[in-house]
Amino acid sequence: MLDLLTEVLGAVPSRCTYAEARHVATDEEDLLVRNGRVDHIDASASDGIGVRVRAGGGWGFAATRGSTPASVERALARALAIAESQPSAPARPLAAVVPARGHWSCAHEIDPFDVSLEDKLALLFAAEELLRVDPRIVRSDATCESRRVRTAFASTEGAACTQERVECGASIAATAVDGDALQVRSHPGSHGSAAACAGWEHVLGFDLVANAPRVVAEALELLVAPDCPAGRRTVILGGEQLALQIHESIGHALELDRMLLMEASYAGTSWVVPGDLGRLRYGSEQLNITADATLPGGLGTFGWDDEGVAAARTALIEAGRLRAALSDRGSAAAIGLQRSGGCARADGFARQPIVRMTNVSIEPGGAGTLADLVADTDDGLYLETNRSWSIDDRRLHFQFGTEVAREICGGELGRLLRNPSYAGVTPTFWGGLDAVCSAPAWRLWGVGNCGKGEPGQVMRVSHGTAPARFRDVQVGVA
Amino acid sequence: MSAAATAPSPAEIAERALGLAAPGGEVQVTVVRERALTSRFARSAPTQATGVDDTEVDILVVRDGHAALASTNRLDDDALRDAARRADAAARASARSGPGAYPGLPEPEPGERTDAGGFDAAAAAAGLAPELAGAALSTAFAVAAEHGLEAFGIWTAGAVRTAIASSTDLRRDEEVTDAFMKVICRDVAGRTGFASATARCADAIDAQAVTWRAAEKVDGQPLAELGPGSYPVVFEPAAVGVLLEFLGTLALNGLSHAEGRGALSGRLGSAVCAPGIELVDDPGSRRTLPRGFDLEGTVKAPLTLIQDGVARAVVHDRRSAALAGAAARSSGHATRPAGSPYGPSPTNLVLGGGDAADVGELAAPIERGIYVTRLWYVNTVREKETLLTGMTRDGTFLIEDGAITRPLRDVRFTDSVLRLLGATEALTAAQQLVSEGELYGRRFAHGVVCPALRAGGFRVSGGTQEVR
Repeated sequence: MLDLLTEVLGAVPSRCTYAEARHVATDEEDLLVRNGRVDHIDASASDGIGVRVRAGGGWGFAATRGSTPASVERALARALAIAESQPSAPARPLAAVVPARGHWSCAHEIDPFDVSLEDKLALLFAAEELLRVDPRIVRSDATCESRRVRTAFASTEGAACTQERVECGASIAATAVDGDALQVRSHPGSHGSAAACAGWEHVLGFDLVANAPRVVAEALELLVAPDCPAGRRTVILGGEQLALQIHESIGHALELDRMLLMEASYAGTSWVVPGDLGRLRYGSEQLNITADATLPGGLGTFGWDDEGVAAARTALIEAGRLRAALSDRGSAAAIGLQRSGGCARADGFARQPIVRMTNVSIEPGGAGTLADLVADTDDGLYLETNRSWSIDDRRLHFQFGTEVAREICGGELGRLLRNPSYAGVTPTFWGGLDAVCSAPAWRLWGVGNCGKGEPGQVMRVSHGTAPARFRDVQVGVA
Repeated sequence: MSAAATAPSPAEIAERALGLAAPGGEVQVTVVRERALTSRFARSAPTQATGVDDTEVDILVVRDGHAALASTNRLDDDALRDAARRADAAARASARSGPGAYPGLPEPEPGERTDAGGFDAAAAAAGLAPELAGAALSTAFAVAAEHGLEAFGIWTAGAVRTAIASSTDLRRDEEVTDAFMKVICRDVAGRTGFASATARCADAIDAQAVTWRAAEKVDGQPLAELGPGSYPVVFEPAAVGVLLEFLGTLALNGLSHAEGRGALSGRLGSAVCAPGIELVDDPGSRRTLPRGFDLEGTVKAPLTLIQDGVARAVVHDRRSAALAGAAARSSGHATRPAGSPYGPSPTNLVLGGGDAADVGELAAPIERGIYVTRLWYVNTVREKETLLTGMTRDGTFLIEDGAITRPLRDVRFTDSVLRLLGATEALTAAQQLVSEGELYGRRFAHGVVCPALRAGGFRVSGGTQEVR
């Protein structure tokens, strides 16, 4: 495949000042057991080629299914026609890159496509059955997903590389209804089956069966639990909720294309501007954020991004101070950076690369375990597992809901509270961060539903988190 | 002759794949071919332009009430045979767990009419020509410049042909076209205005008019602030459309309804909105993006959902109808073969208009309120209450003494769709086809036809503030 891409790009017309071609072959499998039956059992295989060119000062991208010379040439011709029909605009240079060469693949122990359907269904049935213990449970779900993506990339600048990644994940959820009350409890998380770039061993590590009794008990308990009261409180966020908090109020805000207004019509802009890099205080001294595309197991881990830029680890925020942004070759060049941040990612062959998160994580602190952090908190709330999320188009004003809250009284976890929510302003909220749990409490959380771009692209990213404590947070807003 | 012209049609591919499937179970082959062009722009310059030509084949096998799906975009016999084999193996594995709940594939019925008129051949050809996109962008840039503003947005057009062939002798074949343009105009201070247009035909999109409407909303006055509280509100159709899309998910989804999770569970026949609220799903209406059938092949027909404020029906696919029991049957709202795990969804909502001439007349009785042109990042807080939270964006204004007077800082709202429809006091006579133009995955363009409306007690739960 790489030879084909290289050959076609070797013959691009001279009016084309840059071209890249990407072949993507994807295999996916999704299983869902619901309410005692196999609800969905889907498998898909696709492959195709996307070609991006610059010609006449404009950019064009065309994608077509298949992997024949004719399909690559057809995509190239269409991309050129699209580029040359664009209204004239100032040239937008690309930051320089060392041409990508070689092969990369992610490590895994058990290929999820080698695990039989029967074995996967047996695991899901075993967990799901334990959720059906009460007539108020109107829906019991156990689901798993497996994914393999093979990519070949070549460019007229000499890039020629291939990559292969394997991903999988799983989750369970119980939905309880009593009258007008509806409560959901899930494990290990509520977004994207907590998937990782890993083999089936990742799914086995969730211990779905052992966690099912707790999940259903909490779903039922929430039906009769008191509402989470409103007020300004100390809050400890569990790892999964903190992952989404980072995703929405740090990750997206630090996308350089947003700062440059390139996403103003859809995803939005940012309250951060390029001139803030190196200067802005984003949060407290406890806040250390990295973007790391080399992190084992991350959904945002790769050898090269979709512009052929080598994976990197970048400190975005150090001791609360903003240091860097997430960038691709175009946005990096636009603010005079010598190199891209390596954050250009595309959703399959039919979409072009745009600035996306890789694995944007909070670094571990020194607060010990979650139990240690709770013990160190006289009065507060522990919030766990995201249920609702919303933030403005500048990534400044947010409101989140979680599946569950627990009171913290005198350093101990207390009653379960239902319908918890909290709201805040990004730098104020992160300024209230005063403790992050230590490395043993840190883990990656996969987020599989990050939407951006037009036509829409769904990206899969991960966030490393450990439970963390925030002071003076407005809770009970919904 | 182009490759597209000589390629086999989706109906021919579906027929071939059906012939390659192993006998024994029920088989449905669905073939979707998408051709689309999307041009984005920012700061009055083109940014990304994407052309897509792809064909997907979904092979569904049903055994003992278990439906399994395998998809491919490789169209040779070996690939189609392999997909059919994988679907059959999955259905067999699933069936070993005991009887399934899928009621089986539909059969054709006499006299069915499946052509909803959603295709415009000339528009399909013109809409996929990149020159048309380039011209639309140039127009937007020029109009914005006349106002001293920059333009941001998207122009997109597509043609999607869907063919179904099944072992129950059902055959479907339909092509639909769609076009969408969105423009945000922005001044140097960051104040923005929004307008959009959705149509069946690309040549029905008037780039000049859309940009003009967006530019007119960029008001140079200082931004006023509105604190948390309840206010009378006037929503433009784009905002109403977002609320109705959520109503479709939370209240009108037959699967949620049958499982007791829906906001209308146990409430059909009851008043749930203000008198006068009329909501139908009208897939044949030329005012919508018409569709003749759903992805199970069930023929679509008009369905009254809310009549004079009283909940009358929810939408079903074959799976949710079977779960609902009694007299329920599919209303033609499956969004994928054998239905989506998320349940069926209305695709052609039409909210009836009222008597008001325009938004000015809607605002006239309001002493102090809010005028909202666009909502953003709306998400569900509590499903059964249809309680949502989200932001206003790109044009929020204060209403004072019956007139739209000044631009407002965006606000956060936390409110219930059913409560807002219950508190609706007036609607404009004119309706508009609106869409967010969000086209994730395989292109499935849809929109809502609705008027602007005035409602009482819109709950603003937070404001926005500058931090430096």
